[in-house]
Amino acid sequence: MTENATRRFIEDYEARREVLPGVDGWLSRHREGAIRDFAGVGLPHRRLEEWKYTDLGRVLEKAGIEPAPLLEGAVLLPESRSAAVFETIDRHVLVFVNGRYRADLSKAARLPKGVEIHSLGDVLHEQWAKDLVERRFDEKRQAESIVDLNTALMSDGACLRVRKGVKLDKPLHLFFFSADAGASHCRNLVLLEDEAEATILETHLGEKASLADLVLDISLGVGARLNHIKLQDEAESSVHIATMRARLAAQARLSSFTLTLGCGTSRGQSFVLFAGEGAEANIDGAYALKGAQHLDQFCVIDHAVPSCNSHTLFKGVLDGESEGVFQGKVIVRPHAQKTDGRQMTHALLLSRDASMNAKPELEIYADDVQCAHGSTVGELSKDALFYLQSRGIPEAEARRLLVLAFLDEALDLAPHDEARESLRRLVSDWFAEADI
Amino acid sequence: MSMLEIKNLHVNVAGKEILKGIDLSIAAGEVHAIMGPNGSGKSTLSYVLAGRGGYEVTEGSIRFKGKDLLEMSVDERAAAGVFLAFQYPLEIPGVTTMTFLKTALNAQRKARGEEELDAVRFLKLVREKAKPLNVTDDMLKRALNVGYSGGEKKRAEVLQMSLLEPSLAVLDETDSGLDIDALKTVAEGVNALRSPERSMIVITHYQRLLDYIVPDVVHVLSQGRIVKTGGKELALELEKSGYAEYGADAA
Repeated sequence: MTENATRRFIEDYEARREVLPGVDGWLSRHREGAIRDFAGVGLPHRRLEEWKYTDLGRVLEKAGIEPAPLLEGAVLLPESRSAAVFETIDRHVLVFVNGRYRADLSKAARLPKGVEIHSLGDVLHEQWAKDLVERRFDEKRQAESIVDLNTALMSDGACLRVRKGVKLDKPLHLFFFSADAGASHCRNLVLLEDEAEATILETHLGEKASLADLVLDISLGVGARLNHIKLQDEAESSVHIATMRARLAAQARLSSFTLTLGCGTSRGQSFVLFAGEGAEANIDGAYALKGAQHLDQFCVIDHAVPSCNSHTLFKGVLDGESEGVFQGKVIVRPHAQKTDGRQMTHALLLSRDASMNAKPELEIYADDVQCAHGSTVGELSKDALFYLQSRGIPEAEARRLLVLAFLDEALDLAPHDEARESLRRLVSDWFAEADI
Repeated sequence: MSMLEIKNLHVNVAGKEILKGIDLSIAAGEVHAIMGPNGSGKSTLSYVLAGRGGYEVTEGSIRFKGKDLLEMSVDERAAAGVFLAFQYPLEIPGVTTMTFLKTALNAQRKARGEEELDAVRFLKLVREKAKPLNVTDDMLKRALNVGYSGGEKKRAEVLQMSLLEPSLAVLDETDSGLDIDALKTVAEGVNALRSPERSMIVITHYQRLLDYIVPDVVHVLSQGRIVKTGGKELALELEKSGYAEYGADAA
């Protein structure tokens, strides 16, 4: 089935190659190379170790591979709690509907000097954008073939550049809404120069049979700091494939947190490359799945230089027939001494039919390092439930209390105080209504 | 009036009969001690009263304040006034003691059709109840029972009891794991809760606890049956002679 989906993507590219942004410059050549690579490897299939648990070809048979319609008129944005979760935060907002930037719905005025926010089409002539797009992170390219697909088809996206020593005054909120069936291909670029700081919030909402294909390319200069929070709450028939690729210079810090409360089939990939000493990366997340939802988290942290710290914690609860996947790898290169790398994943199964596949890996070639990885899959403790009930707490409430307590450790890691509290309330409300 | 009326109670655990016909009647305001060797069914009785799963009542009845206790769910029993102080209180990571206490108290109040307490009134009440038990603000802010010492766990249990004001408190081996000072603090807390409207069942292996919580009636449980009932002096006799004459192996 992957052949069919691969062919349809290639046909889509051929049909639209002349109208995609950057047609007259380096990008069109780069797109040609990307689609060639994509065609060579094809859409990832389950015979590849990296894709063992997620059958992208099968789900894409149902979701729209062809582009979602271009909506230019009035759009009704969802009024769900998830849509509103960051509303109380003073922020810049860029709204994308069906993968296209909507200036009329966005609000990003009076930016500090040294901050540039553009849509993708406007920065393609700039060298920094080219540098970010052209990078490679995955030696075997099996996880990056979906990045090739994105490179070939990317139609829009948000691009943030913060100049040396400048701090983005308030969070930049990227709001993605797939209003219709069909695919949207977005490429977001973030360049924080030396000592620059920014916070990015992402919201992803999708209606039925939509495909959100996203790549977030990040480059952090010396001592730069990026806080990143992503909320995903999409329809059960949607497909979401997202890759974050981050390169960190010395002393840089990236803290990225993803909360997934709704998805159909979702694959989230994170690649972090330490390129300078003393840098730190926190790639964390929490999720709650039900029904037939499928969430695959794939995370590679490459300690290519000494003295960097990485921390990964994913915690989730799975109900119904949902499936969770965590595949993580911490690579410590031969000379990367004094590395501190931690990778943990914990899942709570609330139903007999839910499942979790976890595969944390360490690849260590240096000898003076501290690394740990671990994985647990369990269910709610009957003893704990009985204890709470014996104090008069009804069973449903006792379950919620225990589940929220379980997720709290991960939610604590969301790197923005106000956003974290909003997410906590959102999760609590979600469970109050979820009948779990 | 009778607070608790147990008649001919037979209970199986994993297919094996543990309680083999218990009859026990406790009036309001009375404190009954249940003593017995290991494996006699003491803890089983406490769990059956609280409603824990896995305990199958095959025969008999339990009436609590005139109502059929066995028909009620675990939380309904709690709201109706049954409280079990655990021998080994559970650690609940991620739920602070304060949150837990407030959730429990308000859940019970709600179930009884009473108004829920707001944060300010609740805090005042908790502090008032916590002070005599040496339960500090720091303990209240920590996750429930996580990292508590044996004594702290038992004091936290008594605090819960004090806050929830049950009509029937079942204390399951409350003395286990306590040194003499901790035992005194816990016993004082329990004694402060004695009242004509509140009955207690004190389950213990040793007589020691009963020096501090003096019972009105003592029962000896052996091999799933109450084999002897007497006054508080029965506990002292047991301390001398042991449980051997009741057909139990020396513990």
